[in-house]
Parts: sequence; structure tokens; C-alpha cells
Amino acid sequence: MTLLRTQGLTAGYGPLTVLEGIDIEVNEGEIVVMLGANGAGKTTTMRAISGVMPRQGIIEYEGRAIQKASPDAIVRGGIAQVPQGRGTFPELSVADNMRAGAYVRRDSAASVQADLEKWFEVFPRLAERHAQRAGSLSGGEQQMLAIARALMSRPKLLLCDEPSMGLAPLITQELFHVIERLNRDEGLSVLLVEQNANLAMHMASRVYLLETGRIVASGSAAELGADDTIRKAYLGF
Amino acid sequence: MSARIIIKSGGRASWAIRAAAAAAVVALLLWIPTRGSDSLIDTCTTAAMLMAAAMSLNLLLGYTGQISLGHSAFFGIGVYTTAIAVTRWGWSPFVTLPVAFAVAFVVGLLVSLPALRIKGVYLALVTLALGLVFPAFIKWPKIEWLTNGSRGLDQTGFKFSKDNPTYELFGWNPWGNLRGQNVKPFYFWVGVLMVVFVYLVCRGVVKSRVGRSLVAIRDNSTAAAVMGVNLAVTKGIVFGLSAAMCALPGSLSAIRTGTVTPDSALLTVAGSITFLVIMVVGGSGSLWGPVMGAIVYQFIIERTGDWSDPDKIPGAVRPLFSWSDVAPGGGIFAMALILLMFFAPFGIVGLWHKLVAKVVTVVPKPAGTTSLVREETAPAES
Repeated sequence: MTLLRTQGLTAGYGPLTVLEGIDIEVNEGEIVVMLGANGAGKTTTMRAISGVMPRQGIIEYEGRAIQKASPDAIVRGGIAQVPQGRGTFPELSVADNMRAGAYVRRDSAASVQADLEKWFEVFPRLAERHAQRAGSLSGGEQQMLAIARALMSRPKLLLCDEPSMGLAPLITQELFHVIERLNRDEGLSVLLVEQNANLAMHMASRVYLLETGRIVASGSAAELGADDTIRKAYLGF
Repeated sequence: MSARIIIKSGGRASWAIRAAAAAAVVALLLWIPTRGSDSLIDTCTTAAMLMAAAMSLNLLLGYTGQISLGHSAFFGIGVYTTAIAVTRWGWSPFVTLPVAFAVAFVVGLLVSLPALRIKGVYLALVTLALGLVFPAFIKWPKIEWLTNGSRGLDQTGFKFSKDNPTYELFGWNPWGNLRGQNVKPFYFWVGVLMVVFVYLVCRGVVKSRVGRSLVAIRDNSTAAAVMGVNLAVTKGIVFGLSAAMCALPGSLSAIRTGTVTPDSALLTVAGSITFLVIMVVGGSGSLWGPVMGAIVYQFIIERTGDWSDPDKIPGAVRPLFSWSDVAPGGGIFAMALILLMFFAPFGIVGLWHKLVAKVVTVVPKPAGTTSLVREETAPAES
């Protein structure tokens, strides 16, 4: 079933149009990877879906149009974003960062606390460091924290903006394993944008190729990988 | 550093320390108005007003990272709301406090509208304009019928009379009264109550979900937005609250001095800078920072008040300050500010934390304690 669908999504900054009509779909339980070079519009796509920038076109989530919704309404609806460059709150403790992720929840403090403990089990390193300032964590730990924080809003769809940025290949691999596990065990759907084609394509249900604000190719990882021209031009292997 | 003291957060030792600190504060608060000299009481009352103003600024700048150089205007709104209501309409001075709070809240909300779109230097300039315009606005000929222009207003405080009640407890009276001779302790307690109120509001805001979202906005406003924090509403309300709380010491100032003029120090931009410096010296982004900053500031000012006469300067430091024609209190505080920024960028409170951390280890609570859920599941585990 389609969870998220965009149609003719355009967005930009002032006079500059970055997205020139993006049509993508994320089905329930999928990991969809969007690949593209710098400036292709990956982050802009994420920000447009999250509602933190002006956008035109259609964005449908669970069959409802959300292109006019405010960011908090979108988070409440179940779309959480892991912003680019981690975006943890350095002066807050690890645990408080995660509590900030539960900002839109209206249920009891006890159930927020229960979730906190649940994610501490999934991310034991964060549990060890729960009282430390987030700014004192390593890059990999901060990325884990950014994901754990996003999960605290109980999303159905997780938007991951270049989680591998600035991380060692081994850490990136570990991170992608976590995302795969969340997808498998928690039924979390994921839309992930990456430059790191190699690693990301392994876990993708489907892949979109983004170039200067347009989708230039889409299909399963195997299909795109099998196409020689696409592979050489965009995937670099 | 082998002999470290280890304290468990939430443990018995930590509670004992808190209780001892609270008892010391209460004892000091009772000692000042009953045993202290009149000038000490005055100093402390002024310090309390500066505390409240700096705390209100701290809520805005220390926690949301929005700078304001216009807080003197909110202070002034408190001053003039009280002064006008008392002199023109004959209100009781205390009734004007919540009114000043409300007026400043609304003005703060309005000012926050441009503040939603700009930050940093630009916001500093917009609020600086507010601080500059306020005294000029009070002197505007078209509203002179209300504010009495640059001549200011008189009789803005209480009317003392022998018939006013006293508030003795079994013959012991630490509170003062409004009969005219013993009025300083009374203002002192109003000041203390105001600081407690402002502290509780700040604490309530800071330690809550809203407080986390404020720090989140300051640290990374995009990440805060995708977390679902409504930036506009949160910033606006905090700006309003901050402005409203800054009006309270303004009101007390009008009540206490009994006269107001638009050019008195705290109503001009100099007042904004004073609040800002007190906050930074004390430690921005910490609840106790402005309290410490205001105490240190006011005591330096009072202690050095007569140093314009070189003979009054203690011998040891006389060569340093005897060249000055004016009291060097502000200059000393400025030097303290520069030194602090160098050695303790998080102010007096930050310095204190640093020193304590050298000898004491505070063990935080383990993850996920004090939760209902854990207590419920605990029997099942054992």
C-alpha cells in the first residue's frame, strides 16, 4: 500500500527552483533510496516533504494531501526526519535530545519514558551516554542519536538525509544495518537519500536517481545496477 | 585528585546538600531585613530587581538564543504602567503589577513578530531600536497629557500613613510596613517575592518539554522544526513572557522610588546593556546565573560608589583607580566581565561548576529510572 506519494513536487529557494516536479512513491514496509550528486535536490526533497520550506505540487501521505500541512502536523501524522548533518542539540543531554523527539506526542510521560528505554536497548551506546551532552558524542553516535530521536515521535515513515555524511565506511555500514533492522523488526518505512550508492543500494527495495531536480531513473536496485549506462553515469561502479 | 567526593544524583547526600543550601538562603533572607543596615536592604532590593530583569532576559537569550537590547523598554513599560495607573487613575500600586505584566506581554508578542524572521545582529538592531525609541516615545508631545513628558511623574508609590496595617508575628516584624519609617524591608520582600515568581516561571518553562524545545531551537532550529516544534508560536510566547517578567521589576522601581522620569538609567538602552552584562557575568543559560550576576554587580557598584574621592579607596587598590573622577564601579565590572569571558565563558555559575567538578563527582541516575513503567515491570523481572 502506498504510504507516501508525491506528484509534480516543486520547491526552491526564492527565485531559484531546485525541484522541477518530483514524482516518487514509498510503499509501506519499503526502504526507498534516492541517489543523487551534490545539488541534485535530495535535501530539498526531504525538507519539502517535512514541510519546513515552501513547496508546490501534491504530497499524499496515507491518502491525505499534506502539501499544505505545517511541520508539526506532519510529524504528528507519522513522518519523522533525520536532518542532514545529524542536527542533534549539542547542549542537551542524550536522553533530553530523545525526549525532544517526543515533542509532539500528547500521551503520558510514562509511555515516552518506556519508548526511551526501548530505544536505549536498540542503541546501547546511547544508553551508556544518556546523561552526557550530545555535543560530546562521536559522529557515529550522534547519527545514531539523531535516528533514535526521530523514532521517539513514533513515525511510520522515516526520512533519512544522508546519514553516511562524514562517517567512516565501517560506521556507515553499522548504521545501515540498524536502519535495515528497524525496517524489518518495527515495520518502519524509510526514505533515504544518499550519495553513497554502493552501500545504500544493497538494502533498497527501490531506487530513484535524482539529477538537477528531476527523477531520471527508477526501479529496483538490481534493475538499475544491471543497466550499464546508468551504472557508469550515476552509480560509479 | 585522589580524594574525590562522590555524590549520587537524587541520593541522600544530594538532598542533604540541597536542604542545607535552602536553609542558608532562607536564613540570609531573614537576616537582611531584620539585622541588616538600611543601605544593605536597599542594595539587596535593587539587586532583586536586577535579578528579575536579567532572569527575564536569560529566558530569551540564554535559552532560545534570541538577543534583545530592548529589555529596558519592557522595564520602562512596567515603570510607566504603574506610574500612570497610580497617578492618573488612583489605582493601588500592587494592582498595577499584573496589569504591567499583561501590557508588556502583548508588546513583547508584537515585537516577536519581526523576531521570528531575523536573528543575530539583525534582531539585536531591531530590539535596540525599541530600546532607543521608548524614552523618546514617553516624551512625545502628543502623549504628554498621559506621561507628563520629560518632567516625569511624581507620587507613583504608596501613600504612607499611620493608619496602614503592620504585619507583626508575635511582636516580631521582619516584613516592614507602609507607615513610613519601616518601609525598606517591605520593598525588600516584594522584591524577593518577585524574584521567586520569575524564577519559578523560568524554571517551569526551562525544565519542561517547552524548555527542551527552546534549547532545541537555539541549537538547531531546522532540526527542531522537523521534530514538530512550532517555532513561531514557541518563540512568540517566550518573547512575550520574557517581556512581561521584565516589566515587574520596572513596576517595583516606580513604586519604590515614587518618581519616574523617562531618562533614568534603566529605562534607556544603558538599562538593556546592564541586564545583558549581569546575565552574561552570572552565567547565561543557567537559572542561577542572573541571581549571582545581579548580586555581584550591585555590590561592586555600592562598594565603589564613593571611590570618586581617592581618599575613600582602600590603600591596596588606590593606585589603580585614583585617576578616575567618577566612581569606577562600572569599569571594575567591565573588567570582571572581560576576565570572566577569558577564564570562565559560562560566567560565575559556570566557574562554580568547573571548580566543584574538580573535587566532586556527581553520579547521574541510571537511564530510565524514576519511571512508572520500570516500577511496574520490576516484579516481573525478579
